[in-house]
Amino acid sequence: MSATATQPDSSYLLRKLHSFTGLLPVGAFLAEHFWSNSAALVSAEKYNATSEELQTIPFRLIVEWGGIFLPLLFHGGYGIYIWLRGKSNVSAYPWVGNWLYLAQRYTGIIAFAYIGWHLYTERWLTHGKSTYANVAEDMQNPWYLVFFIVGVLASSFHLGVGTWNFLCKWGLAATVKAQQAAGRFGAFVGVAFSVVGILIILSFRFDWHPFSAYLPTK
Amino acid sequence: MRQPKIIVVGGGLAGLMATIRVAEAGIPVDLFSIVPVKRSHSVCAQGGINAAKNQKGEGDTVDKHFDDTIYGGDFLANQPLVKRMCEAAPGIIDLLDRMGVMFNRTPEGLLDYRRFGGTLYHRTAFAGATTGQQLLYALDEQVRRHEFEGKVKKFEGVTFLSAVIDEGGVCRGICAMDLRSSEVKTYAADAVIFATGGNGAIFGRSTNSVVCTGSAQAALFQQGVDYANGEFIQVHPTAIPGEDKLRLMSESARGEGGRVWVPRNPAEKRAPRSIPDAERFYFLEEWYPKYGNLVPRDIATRAIHRIVYQEKLGIDGQPAVYLDVTHIPRETLDRKLEGILEIYEKFLGVDPRVEPMRVFPAMHYTMGGIWVNGEDQASNVPGVYAAGECEYQYHGANRLGANSLVSCIFGGGIAGPAAVKYAKNLEKGAESTASAVFDSEKKRQEEKNQKLISQDGSENPIIIWRELGEVMTEHVTVTRINRNLQMADGKIRALQERYKKINLSDRTKWSNQTLNFARELENMIILARVVTLGALARNESRGAHYKPDFPERDDVNWLTTTRAKWVNNDIQLAYEPVDISLIKPRPRRYDAVK
Amino acid sequence: MSETKQVMVKVKRQAGPKEAARWEEFSLKWRPSMNVIICLRDIAENPVTRDGKKTTPISYDSNCLEEICGSCAMLINGRARMACSALVDQLEQPIRIEPMSKFPLVRDLIVDRQFMFESLKRVKAWIPIDGTYHLGEGPRVSPEIQEKGYPLSNCITCGNCLEVCPQVNEHNQFVGAAIISQVRLFNMHPTGAMNKSERLSALMGPGGIQECANAQNCVHVCPKGIPLTESIAEVNRDAWKQALLGWLVG
Repeated sequence: MSATATQPDSSYLLRKLHSFTGLLPVGAFLAEHFWSNSAALVSAEKYNATSEELQTIPFRLIVEWGGIFLPLLFHGGYGIYIWLRGKSNVSAYPWVGNWLYLAQRYTGIIAFAYIGWHLYTERWLTHGKSTYANVAEDMQNPWYLVFFIVGVLASSFHLGVGTWNFLCKWGLAATVKAQQAAGRFGAFVGVAFSVVGILIILSFRFDWHPFSAYLPTK
Repeated sequence: MRQPKIIVVGGGLAGLMATIRVAEAGIPVDLFSIVPVKRSHSVCAQGGINAAKNQKGEGDTVDKHFDDTIYGGDFLANQPLVKRMCEAAPGIIDLLDRMGVMFNRTPEGLLDYRRFGGTLYHRTAFAGATTGQQLLYALDEQVRRHEFEGKVKKFEGVTFLSAVIDEGGVCRGICAMDLRSSEVKTYAADAVIFATGGNGAIFGRSTNSVVCTGSAQAALFQQGVDYANGEFIQVHPTAIPGEDKLRLMSESARGEGGRVWVPRNPAEKRAPRSIPDAERFYFLEEWYPKYGNLVPRDIATRAIHRIVYQEKLGIDGQPAVYLDVTHIPRETLDRKLEGILEIYEKFLGVDPRVEPMRVFPAMHYTMGGIWVNGEDQASNVPGVYAAGECEYQYHGANRLGANSLVSCIFGGGIAGPAAVKYAKNLEKGAESTASAVFDSEKKRQEEKNQKLISQDGSENPIIIWRELGEVMTEHVTVTRINRNLQMADGKIRALQERYKKINLSDRTKWSNQTLNFARELENMIILARVVTLGALARNESRGAHYKPDFPERDDVNWLTTTRAKWVNNDIQLAYEPVDISLIKPRPRRYDAVK
Repeated sequence: MSETKQVMVKVKRQAGPKEAARWEEFSLKWRPSMNVIICLRDIAENPVTRDGKKTTPISYDSNCLEEICGSCAMLINGRARMACSALVDQLEQPIRIEPMSKFPLVRDLIVDRQFMFESLKRVKAWIPIDGTYHLGEGPRVSPEIQEKGYPLSNCITCGNCLEVCPQVNEHNQFVGAAIISQVRLFNMHPTGAMNKSERLSALMGPGGIQECANAQNCVHVCPKGIPLTESIAEVNRDAWKQALLGWLVG
């Protein structure tokens, strides 16, 4: 019998792609996005400047579609397909990993819906020229505010668990000890994103700029 | 040229090895097993497998392995084939090693060997304390590969009912029942290899698995296949008592340094660990200074019985002694004995690494079985072969620990090619057997089923079985007294009568386990009588067969193989001399120097 | 207590794959170190329900009764485990006993786990030896490899890891943790490693390793304590490396 490898099944490649896109570029974009938005913690002007900087990058549409929208769409869409093929059983087996499995699906769909809406309001309606004032105005709507908080928390959680999953499922954390460490790292990612995300929301909602002291005194 | 066809019944070590050998010869083979073969009773073997590889530089040789086996078996085994087995053993280990068995290793990457009962050498290769499981899986994997390549067809969940034997007395196939549909079918073959294991169930509770009923052997016996040395039943000294099963606590626990003891004071109330060494009675070490805790099983078992029943020194007055491994470093225990220690921990909730285990002897193995010739595992019925525990060939009056795995693989390895050779040389194969031969056997078996399903009666098969087990365990195991054996046979015959009036609590046809059990029970009763009558007749003590009224081995009258035959629907005992051409019998004295 | 202690048992019965399921309750006499197998045997000996109705013995798989043959896996109080090692005194009563839900039902507590054995074929879970004739010793294996491989080779194919896996269900033919762990075992062995890529390829087919979603239930219920999640991770790493390298360098 020959030992030559046959080609992996498409379901294998799609699954791996799904897992990979979650981290790169989607996760990476989320990190970049939070970083850029953190400018609001300094000042509205800083935020607008950062925003303008991003709005004027070369090849913007290609970068946006190829690097963000399409991967996101794939990750979310294929994620829903995966969800439909699983059958959660936390009531019988209420272990942490199993809860995370279930939560990963719900936070995924929430994040997906939120990001879709967020893109629609902040990217499409503004034709990609969203400003500090636009966002701050949206935040005055309590429903928007709640949705922002839920969305940010869901995305952060999903990324945190996803990081753990990624490290396990790609065999980067294989031993029990390494997987525990990966779990702690994932938790750190989730918490860090949640905290930063909430701070940014608060910044817009209350016009609060805790790092304004960084600015040169006028 | 016609294509021969072989059937193997039983998917434990012997059956799988036979299957592999037949498949390798390019002959199609149908493998029948009650359970998926990976769940066969061979998984329960714990301690290891013997081969004189002399890997510890102790000067071990094949001849010493041969001598230990014959001596341990009290000179009842026919010697030439045993010698061949001991010669083949190192090669069998190599083969298993090549199949990927995860044997324990030395730092150099070679196989590690441990000591076992009845020898002074480190001769036992092992994979933790689940060697049987590991070996079975290795063979199971090879068979799966042959199955994948289309050479083997498995019939799992199909139970053997009877052989199909033509007018000329030649076996032409089998009749078997699908355990789901209860459908009875015949399957033609030129030769059938039986590897149907032990018969623990006739003793009710034993260390055996549920499927070890001996039913197939008994069915064959009633079709004219002789049964040899049935009275030789091994009672393993150390098992954990339980209501559903007596769980084995492997000899390897002693092989790795475990010690058997009881408190010297029968009224001892202290926890075992707080009893000082001087107040412990290490009776095996005291009585058998040379072999100590590693005397053969029959000796250790009788010693424990003596401690409990004559010296009245059982723990708390109960039938139990301590098997103590608490002095062995935990790391060694986990590396070499974890499998069995876990069993103790799981089923009793006590950690044997900390607390000495409480154990007692339990029926474990039958040395006797289907009579086969001293050449190639053929029975007296042409076309019927047998290998493994279900035949009688290798262990004489007492089997040494870790010799069963080697005898299963060796026997199966011989039976396969022998059956192929026989099948190829047949002038007329099963294909030219009249279909009426198959039809009538099928009809006979279907009628039995129909009768069981439809008859109204007052007896419960499970209760009959339990009573059978009680009688057998009480009178036909460690200590045998003629008066009691006669009484036991009377009781068994009474059970046989009651069996005629059994009533099945389930009369459906789909996956009816009661029906199959009732069928097996009928056979178990016959086999129980074969064992009992053999024991009754043999007025001597030899190996596992011990009669206080005849305490000595009697080579003048009893250096013979018992050969039970089915004549006029009854059991008849015949005797034939043992082949002692290679080692002259000498007294078996483990308390003195050999 | 002066009166005899009773054990309450509820068993999910089903006469066949197409019959309706029903529950039956039994009241059994308590004894020390009773396990679920003993309960089922008691019922077989006297098949009468708690309310006095005659019924049939319960069909169930069992063999070794010491948790090494893998036969008696079932759901006990909702959890997949081996019946022989399920001690009554450690279970909440009434003890609910059901067949495993992820395998085709045969009758009562018997299910058909052939899928697992077929999967073992699919991943070629064996060492392809040339033959059983004399070819000398096997390859040397370091104690380190042996100590890793031996626990993996303890797998009893009970199916508990499939039963509890949310990714194993009627929509999904996921092979499950046990099989992946076997691939790791055979790929670890010096001779087995020669067919490593073949096994990995099989695991990258439909229902392969990609279906694992890291819920990690498997490792909790494995009666043999096999490090299944570790096996999955390791095989995963080998698999994607092979897929990527195969694509990059052919």
